[in-house]
Amino acid sequence: MKLGTVTMFVAIATAVMITAAFASPEKGLEIAIEADSRDKGFGDSTAQITMILMDKYGQSTERTIRNRTFEGYNEGDKSLVIFDSPGDVRGTAFLSHTKKADSDDQWLYLPALKRVKRIASSNKAGPFMGSEFSYEDIASQEVEKYTYNYLRDEELNGLECFVVEYDPVDRKSGYKRQIVWMDKAEYRVHKIDFYDRKDALLKTLTYEDYNQYLDKFWRSNRLVMINHQTGKKTELVFADWKFQTGMTERDFEKSTLKRTR
Amino acid sequence: MITYYARCFAIVLLLTQPAFAGKVNGTLSSRLDFYPDHADGTASEGRSVEVKIDAFHDFDKSRIVGEFIFRGDKKDSGRRITEARQAYFRSPFAGFDFFVGNRQEFWGKAESKNVVDVINQSDAAANDGKSGKLGAPSISAERYLDVGNLQLWYISSFREKTFNDSDAHPSSGVPVSSAQYARKNGKDADDFAARLSSFAGDWDLAGSVFYGTARDPILSVNSNGSALNPHYALQKSIGFEAQYTGDVTLLKWESLHGTQSSLIGAHDFAAAVAGIEYTYYGAFETIWDIGLIGEIQHDDRPQAAANQFGVAGVRLVFNDIADSNFLFLASLDRKTDQSFASLEASRRINDVTSVKLTSQFYNARTATSTFGQLSDDDAITLTLNIFF
Repeated sequence: MKLGTVTMFVAIATAVMITAAFASPEKGLEIAIEADSRDKGFGDSTAQITMILMDKYGQSTERTIRNRTFEGYNEGDKSLVIFDSPGDVRGTAFLSHTKKADSDDQWLYLPALKRVKRIASSNKAGPFMGSEFSYEDIASQEVEKYTYNYLRDEELNGLECFVVEYDPVDRKSGYKRQIVWMDKAEYRVHKIDFYDRKDALLKTLTYEDYNQYLDKFWRSNRLVMINHQTGKKTELVFADWKFQTGMTERDFEKSTLKRTR
Repeated sequence: MITYYARCFAIVLLLTQPAFAGKVNGTLSSRLDFYPDHADGTASEGRSVEVKIDAFHDFDKSRIVGEFIFRGDKKDSGRRITEARQAYFRSPFAGFDFFVGNRQEFWGKAESKNVVDVINQSDAAANDGKSGKLGAPSISAERYLDVGNLQLWYISSFREKTFNDSDAHPSSGVPVSSAQYARKNGKDADDFAARLSSFAGDWDLAGSVFYGTARDPILSVNSNGSALNPHYALQKSIGFEAQYTGDVTLLKWESLHGTQSSLIGAHDFAAAVAGIEYTYYGAFETIWDIGLIGEIQHDDRPQAAANQFGVAGVRLVFNDIADSNFLFLASLDRKTDQSFASLEASRRINDVTSVKLTSQFYNARTATSTFGQLSDDDAITLTLNIFF
């Protein structure tokens, strides 16, 4: 019994040492920077999105939204989300100016009142449109928003992947950590495990059906988020991707929220 | 006149476009009102149906926008309306975006009252909160400058506030007669307004000026007490708005200073709302958000219900698939001992249907106060919206 305990202790200690030996914050950061740099230069993009929300009994309901993104250089990306259905939120628009280090600036346009409302961005962990995606999940991912730790190499769906831990810098994040699987060939994210503040596995996001645009930029057409704690699931199905459409930064000013349709 | 023709032009173009490079959407709202405290001889309930049609058509760089309201009411003729809330042509010119026709615009930051929101007249008879507005027949221009967004407004004719019938609700019980104006051109007098809005860091700021006919009339009883005369003053005012957006706390300010010239003379006035909204995101370890709202209103214009209101409220957002939410606001004026409470709850039934419950309760110790006259106007309203 005593020997068994010692053996187990030695085994755990060895495993921890081996993990520590291979785990590398520097390599984690390098991977994140490389992934970010491979997506540089897309300029702007638009897409149609169908959001399918499923409860734990499999009953589903759909939302349709449009997304417009403008690539940021000195600061983070600017993005605009316009709701087309369901009918009661039709015309509502959500504008986000992502900041690399600071809190994002966010505004909501309410079409019935023609009112643009600045909203607090600390609602990061809150659900976006009642879905399993939170506001921070749909926000533009900037390198500066996390610290990194490369954990190991692992095969996923036949692809050689880096497995990297992303630790959110912002204490208002709903996550303690995220474990990200990214393929070595193209630096595309294939899976993320999200751990809540108590370090319990909360959600898993998988990226499917990748397509390449302009011979450079990879976009997944199907994102599936499963909440392990509630049994609920949300799918985002992307269609009609367009890049470098000629939008300007002015199309992402708060005054233009009133003009989006 | 130009705005009238632009409005007609916008409507005709929207109706006649063979290849429609835009969208048409509609909302059918069926509404039931109950008046639990109604006085003898006034309605105990109300039934109305509203159809709203939204449409737009895109040209190369220009756009025509229409938002038309058709509202029928079983008994209350004051609430019946056919309205082009928006019917305008928008086109870029000389670095500005120009808008010609009827337009709806919102200025303000606060929750309980927006003293700087001067562009549109209120469709008060709709009793539909802040969204009940009449289109402003106007030519307006907007331009994004380095210092912020500039708006310039010319409003070509005045829209009178709508009132419910004297036996409907809310109403003082006395019919409203024809309007009188402090300005000699009356309804045809032109209004001018401008606003510059900007944001820097956590602050959103705006300043505005207005020269024109005051939107709220001063109501006075005629000599034999048989009618209320709405009198519209000339107003010259400066508005200021600010919002600080903290992590979980919003601080809001809006104020309007100026003069009003009316039958009772020229008076300086000040109106302001200061507020705070604190939100517990993910309250009680759920996905609910609970917002606590506190505002103080000051308004020394003769049209105001009271000089000073303290407002407290709770907003509950359930963040569920049905988008369920709830807002309760209570206003109290200690000086005139009158109070007002409102409750609003809404949720989605399915993709094309939503339901909303609103209620308003007035309380006043003296019959002469504004709310005293509205003491029988407590209302519970159920609205079913169908989107198509």
